[in-house]
Amino acid sequence: MVKYVIQRLIAAFFTFLAIITVVFFVLRLMPGSVIEPSPRLDPAIYQAMMDKYHLNDPLIVQFGYAIRDYMSLDLGYSLKVNPGSPVLDIILSRLAVTVQLNYFSAFVILPFGLFLGISMAVKKDSLYDNVMSSLIILTISVPSFVLAALMQYLLGFKFGWFPLILEAEESLSWTKFYSMIMPILALSFGGIASIARTLRAELAEVLTMDFMQLAKAKGLSYGQTITRHALRNSCVPLASTFLYLFLGVLGSSLVIEQIFSVPGMSKTMMAAINGKDHWLTMGCIIFYTLIGLLMAIVADLSYGVVDPRIRMGGGKDA
Amino acid sequence: MRNGTVFMENGQPLGEELLNIAPEQFEIIEREAKIVDADFRTESVSYGKDVLRRFLRDRVTVTAAVIILVIVAMALIGPNISPYTYLEQNREMQNMPPRIPVLENIGICDGTRVLNIKKSSMEEYGPYIKESLGETTTSSAFGTSTMYRVKVDMYAYKGIPDQYFWFGSDVLGRDIFARLWQGTRISLILALVVVAVNLSVGLIVGAICGYYGGWIDMVIQRLMDIIWNIPSLPLTILLIMLFGSGLLPLALAFCLTGWMGTANSVRMQFYRYKGREYVLASRTMGASDMRLMFRHILPNAIGTLITSCALSVPGVVFQEAGLAYLGLGIQAPNPSIGMMLSDGQKVLLDYPSQLVFPGVVIVLLMLAFNLLGNGLRDAFNPSLRQ
Repeated sequence: MVKYVIQRLIAAFFTFLAIITVVFFVLRLMPGSVIEPSPRLDPAIYQAMMDKYHLNDPLIVQFGYAIRDYMSLDLGYSLKVNPGSPVLDIILSRLAVTVQLNYFSAFVILPFGLFLGISMAVKKDSLYDNVMSSLIILTISVPSFVLAALMQYLLGFKFGWFPLILEAEESLSWTKFYSMIMPILALSFGGIASIARTLRAELAEVLTMDFMQLAKAKGLSYGQTITRHALRNSCVPLASTFLYLFLGVLGSSLVIEQIFSVPGMSKTMMAAINGKDHWLTMGCIIFYTLIGLLMAIVADLSYGVVDPRIRMGGGKDA
Repeated sequence: MRNGTVFMENGQPLGEELLNIAPEQFEIIEREAKIVDADFRTESVSYGKDVLRRFLRDRVTVTAAVIILVIVAMALIGPNISPYTYLEQNREMQNMPPRIPVLENIGICDGTRVLNIKKSSMEEYGPYIKESLGETTTSSAFGTSTMYRVKVDMYAYKGIPDQYFWFGSDVLGRDIFARLWQGTRISLILALVVVAVNLSVGLIVGAICGYYGGWIDMVIQRLMDIIWNIPSLPLTILLIMLFGSGLLPLALAFCLTGWMGTANSVRMQFYRYKGREYVLASRTMGASDMRLMFRHILPNAIGTLITSCALSVPGVVFQEAGLAYLGLGIQAPNPSIGMMLSDGQKVLLDYPSQLVFPGVVIVLLMLAFNLLGNGLRDAFNPSLRQ
């Protein structure tokens, strides 16, 4: 087990290096320079700045500097979006609202998704199941941004129940949460639908298996057979989905953040890319890449926890 | 043979003269009647025919296919049947409400808009008011004022009572009907290109990985790991910034990671089938690698491939629309469904109809392709054969 994790971590490290390399060169090959020469800028100052950030050196040398900095856990400073502040600080400060949004929507998605999936599988082929299945297909087919726009117009503008955009307050107050309801809902519907659909398919298959009969014959109640035996077996394909709900921060929230004017990660990254703030862009991408790579490992390990029959690494002692 | 003696079927020993027949004395007995199997009473059903039959039996799937056909047909002819072209601007006719010839008589899409107007502007709108919806009093720093809620015939007001913008016009006075179908055409072309590229690349890579295995498989799998783990959204944005916005950069960005799903499922199929006896038999008879790969193993994966193609079309349309919202869609004057949606979003609170029409089309398109994909999956599944 430990050996397997170490192997995976080493592989992830090399993948990470490869990704950093690709992104670095794509970023530097983009047209335009980090510091634009302009008539109002003193050529001497321009030269000094170019020298300070090693922008006159060949790309490969710049890459060497970048890697050295990243290895010493230094993400550098933002130049354009938030001039002078450390990239790490910017990311951490913008992360808060994105994480809040994603966590709240995860707390909406999980109970509803689980309940719908289980109830549909238990009542398979009934009227309830058919109606809910149609609704779920419909929900999956409505893009989250169309839903967001619809809610913004109807709930926010016509009925005036919710504020149209997110409150600008820093701390998480009641008014802030109140204004977060619509983005949370817009983020949740797709997740609920996909979890319910997968869970229904898996659970319906498990329910027909022989060991369910055995569990019933042992004298377990119907509820016990579902929660102890069926659910556990049908959750394997969903384990990674659950994890991503809580640990993944990118999701489809980029457009939703745009619509509801959320000052989150995605807005920062768009601004960084648009403004050629390469250090901030690299910081954001490094952050997302690290999360993605670690998530993949954790997701693989979680299969073993959910289903003890799945062993990691093929070792005897696993 | 028992004790060197040969016995006939009835137990009698075989006579000496029968054991020593010269070869030239043998004669081939030809039967008079040709032996044929009895004809099947039922129609013979091939796999394709069976799939088609199951496909046609499912009413939902057929409806979805019809909706797709209608949308495709409209994407082909729509921009041409509108009285306006999709690029024609008309500053006089900005943000016109929708007006459709027959429906206007029953009060839907009749070119009217509900306005809140001051008493002083009553004269300006006076002759064009179709219906009065009461009055509201608002008090502000400038004192209280009475606002009249009235339904105004905007076409008469603008002095163009014989013009028809079927779905209304946008902020530049362009016809939304023409733009919407032109946009649908572009979104569908994008989806088609992306799906075709993903399918062919995924097929070839997956087949090579799955068939040859070994170090080729390992190297390609590692490479795929790397590409897969690059956060796709930042990468897409970077690519579009690098190559400029347009149809081709978008397609490239979608294809960069899109082929991996296909490659993985093809690889799985090859791993599953390459060791089967029938493949071995064919190989023994001298079939080439190419023939084994594409004639014998690949057909097993056809069903899943077609299904995943149908299911990936809405994904592309969805992603394109998402990027358009971020201002990374296709080049500006050209429409796509995503561009129409994001343009509509900007004026959502004043002119919701500009978002409703593209919204309905994208929902219908995605719904139809999702249902079609599900139906195809069932149709290709031999275990549901009846």
